[in-house]
Amino acid sequence: MTSKIIIMAERIKDAEDRLLESMFASPPLADDGFSVRVVRKVNRRLWLRRLTLPAAAVIGGAIAIKPLSGLVALLSSLSSLVPLDAINMASNSIPQFQTIVLGAILLAVCLVGTRFLED
Amino acid sequence: MSSSADNELVARVVSAQDTAAFGELVRRHQSHVRNFLRKLSGDYTLADDLAQDCFIHAWEKLQTYSGRGSFIGWLLKVAYTTFLQSKRSAKRYAEIMTSAGHVADQESGGQTRPDDEFTDLEKFLAVLTEEERAIMVMSYACGLSHREIGDATDLPVGTVKSVIFRGKEKIRNSFDIKDHNHG
Repeated sequence: MTSKIIIMAERIKDAEDRLLESMFASPPLADDGFSVRVVRKVNRRLWLRRLTLPAAAVIGGAIAIKPLSGLVALLSSLSSLVPLDAINMASNSIPQFQTIVLGAILLAVCLVGTRFLED
Repeated sequence: MSSSADNELVARVVSAQDTAAFGELVRRHQSHVRNFLRKLSGDYTLADDLAQDCFIHAWEKLQTYSGRGSFIGWLLKVAYTTFLQSKRSAKRYAEIMTSAGHVADQESGGQTRPDDEFTDLEKFLAVLTEEERAIMVMSYACGLSHREIGDATDLPVGTVKSVIFRGKEKIRNSFDIKDHNHG
């Protein structure tokens, strides 16, 4: 009830209000490609966002390759210190390193592909 | 402009990131937003740049529009925030330049216009503070209700009313407009 009264009171305009309204009034502006420019910017942002994660993954992978290969070399040199029996036992119980890497790459490709398909 | 059509377009944008629906929203409201920013800044080129920024911000936070109140009210809130942010960064830039020993450019792009080139409305707006100007434009040019203006400016309705009263009084005193207020 109170809000209705407030709205009614707002609608009652005096001559000064009407004068100000006519002073403030301006003709509608033609679009003239404005909305197209905005949508183009929005699309660009969307694509940038979609590409950010895969690009970051690729860059991160490229940066990580060198220290990772160093780590693998270090581990393989350490393996000579480990008794041969233990190595045989471990290699029998876990899959090959190459298989793990291949699996990880396939998983990453699948995830990125799914994301693109969703988009 | 139907608000249910606006809400339908907003729902399409939020649920499916539909840029075509967003383009339709921009087409429907660009005139109001650009006119609002033109009156606020007094600079048409700057206003159009700010309007583009405003719509990009609107795209990014469209999911925060609850559907309460009109969409144009929400959009003008985004436009007003964008305007204030740009003013703040321009001020910071001027301060940095001044402290670095440069003479700051004038706010309106470094060019001054002769007095007779200003429209009556521009002269009216010049006597108002930034906040008064924004509220008066929202009220008299965009037709927003006091409540919608309150939502857009984060001010209580009572404050909005007193700002409008003060603005009218300033214009009346500065330009010798007769008081037609009969109650």
